[in-house]
Order: sequence, then structure tokens, then C-alpha cells
Amino acid sequence: MGLPSLAEADPLRLRGDALAETQGSSSPTGLIVLQGEDAPRSWVGVEGLVWAGARSSTVTGDVLVLAVRVREPHGYTEARVGRFVLATGAVHPVQIDGAHLIARAPWGSVVETFGGLPVAPRFGARSYDWIAGGRVAQTVASVGTLGVSYVQRREDGEISNEELGVDLATAPAKWLDVAAFGAYDVTSPGLAEARASAAVRWTDWRVELFGSQMSPGRLLPATSLFSVLGDMASQTVGATVRWRAAPRLDLLASGAGQDVAGGLGSNGWVRATLRLDDRGAGSLGLEVRRVDVPGVQWTGVRAIGAVPLGKGFRYSSEIEIVVPDNPDGRGVAWPWGLSALSWRSLSGWEVTGALEASSTPQQRYEADALVRLTYALGSATPGPQGGQYTGSR
Amino acid sequence: MRARLTLVMLLAVVLAACASVLGLRRELPSHPFEHRAHVLKGINCVECHADVASAGETGPLHFPDDAVCRRCHEKPHDTRSCTSCHGEPYVRQAAELARAQLRFEHPTHMIAVRGDCVRCHTQVAEARPETVLPKMATCFGCHQHRDQWTMRDCNGCHVNVRDEGVPPDDHLVHDGDFVREHGVRAASARDLCASCHTDRQCASCHGEGTVPALPWKLALGEVSLSGLHRAGFMARHSDEARADPGLCTTCHSESSCVDCHTRQNVAGTSVRSPHPPGWASGEHGVQARIDPVSCAGCHGGAGEQLCVGCHTVGGPGGNPHGPGFSSHKDEHHDLPCRLCHGVGR
Repeated sequence: MGLPSLAEADPLRLRGDALAETQGSSSPTGLIVLQGEDAPRSWVGVEGLVWAGARSSTVTGDVLVLAVRVREPHGYTEARVGRFVLATGAVHPVQIDGAHLIARAPWGSVVETFGGLPVAPRFGARSYDWIAGGRVAQTVASVGTLGVSYVQRREDGEISNEELGVDLATAPAKWLDVAAFGAYDVTSPGLAEARASAAVRWTDWRVELFGSQMSPGRLLPATSLFSVLGDMASQTVGATVRWRAAPRLDLLASGAGQDVAGGLGSNGWVRATLRLDDRGAGSLGLEVRRVDVPGVQWTGVRAIGAVPLGKGFRYSSEIEIVVPDNPDGRGVAWPWGLSALSWRSLSGWEVTGALEASSTPQQRYEADALVRLTYALGSATPGPQGGQYTGSR
Repeated sequence: MRARLTLVMLLAVVLAACASVLGLRRELPSHPFEHRAHVLKGINCVECHADVASAGETGPLHFPDDAVCRRCHEKPHDTRSCTSCHGEPYVRQAAELARAQLRFEHPTHMIAVRGDCVRCHTQVAEARPETVLPKMATCFGCHQHRDQWTMRDCNGCHVNVRDEGVPPDDHLVHDGDFVREHGVRAASARDLCASCHTDRQCASCHGEGTVPALPWKLALGEVSLSGLHRAGFMARHSDEARADPGLCTTCHSESSCVDCHTRQNVAGTSVRSPHPPGWASGEHGVQARIDPVSCAGCHGGAGEQLCVGCHTVGGPGGNPHGPGFSSHKDEHHDLPCRLCHGVGR
């Protein structure tokens, strides 16, 4: 549990970021990100995020989010219009220019419908490319929700994705919650993707059992030639355990068995995170990870550290070494490291300088210098998520 | 036996030495307030929290001061303020936060529970600081609040839940490996997620062409063990993709690969082709069946002509469709069927 502190009302957030980067022999990169959010009334909200970047002589940019959300005060209806990420039920997340309407009833029924044009990056355009669908859900006895969804997407007028989905979430007890979804491919009949997770919690422990099945051929657009190569699905079954071993020490372990197209494998990791103070302003962490599936075997160790230095300064460092079982001419180890020094002022300025160095399968030696400059308008404490963690309730 | 004893003693010494670092030894002299002891003495809550029955949404908090304590504890054992040790300071902070961020009045609730404070403060007798304030799940014991939850009507209780930024610790727990877990958790409750999370947060990973706007790309100083693409991920991303075929499609479209590979000059006939020597005449067919998404990353769209140039019907490689393959598409007219089965081929 983090310690609670007073949150600051922050109705409008605008951020400007500039990133200078020297990547090997390539030229510096500039990047500006502006994001804003406002809710002039409780029933209406506006949100936007645009970025522009330059590398060498190329200038590019994009609108990531530009959406208006209107909501009936008691929640009976809700609408989102503009550019946003659509994700509901078993529908895979997709960024669209369109609309998403939700209607709710007090007895727990929910009806959703959506439609729009899937976004082409960098202001690109596609012809006869659209997506539409909906979801119907019912909450039963306040302990569970069952939903059924349908989506159809067309590219150049041809069906690229048509799926029926089922989703389920239930929390029959305070210590238990279960969630699952499955998406069935209608075009090439079969299960495209299914995931399930069940978690139990008690005192300082949490244990999650999870499983998934994915059919890569069905996750591709049905207009792709590679979608017809057959169904070699991969399955994963595993567990994650979290133990708060001490008030400031979290231990986390995860392991999974995999069946990748008929080849058995496994992967797992163990993490330890030690907060250096009750507020978590400083922390140390260590992770050991092992991946062992057919064709891919490696072991990695990663360590992180972040220490507040006072007067707004903060030092952080991250080191990783990955050792492949079969180097295959790509180097016996792939080390990577980053050290950063940040300074944050109460007036909204933040400057971060970092050095990054690595030896990778692609480059024998690579070193980058990165500088980030941020100014947050209307916020005294800029954060990458635009909000601040202040504890738990 | 002796070695085991030595090990236990060594662990005990290490724990004792690290007690402060681990948070086992408290830095402050304060401890949770002895609510249980007071209740067992027959002292009613409102005897100390005197103004709670009339406390509105604003005004001072209803915590007792030293004068209230001295009504019974006539000879204090210390010259310092009672609250400097009895009661955790951040319980008061949490109450201040709740006062600022919640639409809540004690008087109306006390009528509903007929003055029985423990109906909401269910764990107040436990000597742990986090049990003083009611958990949010306790609110759902009332129909009104349960209906508000069903209708996603956060504003009924929260002034601005997004700015409040306080995740509930008794449900919606974002714990464990939540980066992997969040998709399945959000499937049935996307609108609930949206009550705290912005579209920008979703789009920073699930949007098209978003790499420059990714929070972790810019958060140079925010080191973390969680997150999918931390540290040297980029250097081994092909291994990561092969270890879990199809997973990349959760966020990336197949065009993401070719965009980046073209930019990095790792494509097609370039000297930096990612394929090993002899790929075309070797195992490319097997790998394409296992992970067709990776193939589509570079060879999708117009690049598919590279495949159908060799793999004509009845040509080398045999039938590319896997066992049990079926499709509702018209093989002569629809994509991709017509590439091989179209009229004139």
C-alpha cells in the first residue's frame, strides 16, 4: 500500500516534450508531444494527444487521441466521438475515427454499439475501410457480468475480420475474482483468441492462475495471404504469485508452460522490488527471467535503482544482461544499461539527461545520449501518465 | 542441524539489520490508535468523535484533540501531544484526502446505520492503520451505491475520480503482472476502466504508429521492472515475438514491422536482412505456419506477390493450407484466395 497524500485538482493538463537523441551514427531526433484534457462540465469531457517528430530531414507527426465524451449525468447513456481506442468485450483494441455509444439500465443491462474508420498512421488514408459492431452485457446479482460481442471490419471493401466474442467477469467473494474472454473467427471458423485469469487474495499474498490460446493466422486480417496457412495455435498456462514480504519489499514470481505450434516450452521470472522509503520515491529492483521455447532460449538479469537526491533531483539506473543459449554468431551476451539524472521544478519544468549503452545482436557496440525537456502547463507535478499515484482506498 | 541453526540465526541477524530498510521497524514513534481498547471500556465512538454527527462535507475533521483525551487520561504519561504517537499521521492525511475528494456526510449515513459506526468502519478494531477508513466495497452494501457502481456513476460520491488518482485496494487491484493481465480484466469492464484511465493511456500502446508517444519512451528517469518493452527489448524483439506467436498483434498492426524495418534499413534485399542464409530454400515454410504474423509484418500487402510468385496452385511447397482449413470466402473473387485461385491463375 502506498501512503496517501493530498491529490491536486488538475482539470487541464498540457505537456510539451522534446527529446534529443543521438543513436549510433544517426542524427538527432526531435519530438514534441502535446496532450490535453478538460471536463468543463461533469457530463462532458474532451481529450487530445498529438505529436510531431523529426529525424534527419524527415518531419512527421500524428494525432493519437482527439475525442469528446458526453455522458448522461446518471450514466444511462454515454457517447464517445472522435479518434480513440475502441476496446470492449472480446473485440481487439483498435484505434478508430468514429463513435462509441453505450446505454445502461439500472438492472445491469448494457448495450454498446460502435462504428468508424480504422486509423491509418501518419495522416494516411484507406479506402472502403471501416469497422462496426456491438456488445450486449448483463450483470447478474452484482457478482458477475456476461457479455456477447460482434465485430466486422472491412479493408478495401473486403471482410478482414469478423468475430463473435464472449466475455465474463465475476467476483463471487472479496478474495476471488475471475475474468475471461474468447473471440471466435467467423470468416475462417475457429477460436481466434481466448484468455482467462483467476486471482485469489489474502493478506499479503495474491495468486493468479492464467491461461490463453492464440491462433496467429486468425489474428491477422482475413485479407492477408498469411491468414490461410492453417491454424497452429499456441497455448499458455501459468501462475503469478505476489508476496508482500515486508512493508517495503514485494516479491513477484511468474511461470508458464507453453505449447507453441506443437513444441513445448516454458518461461518464467522472479522479481524483487524494495522501496527505499514509505512513499516509494526511491526503489531498488532485481529481476531474473528465463525463456525456453523451441528456437528461443535465453536467460536475463535486470537491476534497477532510483534514488531521490533532494532539491528536485533524482538519479536512476537500469542494467540488463541477456545470455542466449545459442548465440549463433550474435554475441555471447547482450548487455544494456541506462543512467539518468532528472530535475523537476515546482513550476512544471522537468529536465532529464540519460546515457544508454548496449551490445546487441545487431550492433556490437552502441551508445546514445538522450535529453528530455518537459514543461507541464497547469500542473505542478508532471508525470508520464498525466496523473499521480497518491495511495489506495 | 548445527548448519541449519546457523542459517536461521544468520537470517535473523540480517532481518534485524535490515528491519528499517524493509519497513519492519517504523521510523515514527506513532502506532495505530487503540480503538479496540476504548470500545472494550464501553466508550461510544461519538464520545471522542463528538462532532461527527453534525459534520458536513466541509469544515474541520472530527478527530479528537488532546483536551478530549485528558477528560479520561487526566495524567498523561508524556508531555508531547497524544496524537504524536497514538494514531498514524497518514490516517489523518487519508481522511483529509477523503474530505477533499468525496461527496460524503456522516449525519445522513449515521441515520442509515442507526448510529452503528461499525457497520461501515468494519475493521476499526484491528490495530492496523489501513483499516480505519471503510473500504469502497463496504459502500456497495447499500443498494444506492451498488446501483451507482452498476451505472458507472462515479460522480455520485467522487468529486473527480480521475484527478483523485487513488486506486481502491479491495477490488480492481492492479497487482501482480497487471500489464499482461489487464486485457482480460478490462474485457468486461472497459467503461469502468475509463472512469480513471484516459484514452491517451490506451492509445499510447494500442494506437497506430504511437512509438514516439509511448510513456516509457519518454520516461527516461522512471525505471521500472514492469512494462513490456523495457531495457534491451528492442534488440531481441524477434526472439520475444517467436516465443509467443501472435502476441504482438495485440498492439501492433502488421505494417508496424515494415515501417520500422524500412527506416532501419533492415528489409528485403538489404545486407541487413533478418533472415539467415538459405532461408528461402529452407525452413521458411514451417516458420510461416508457426508465426504467420511475423511474415506478414514485412511481406504483407504487395509483398505477398513474393509468395505467390513461387507457390502457384500445384507448384512447389504443396498445399499451403493447414489441416482442416476452411473459409467462407469466395475463392475466385475474395482476397487473399484470388491471389492463387483467381480466374486465369
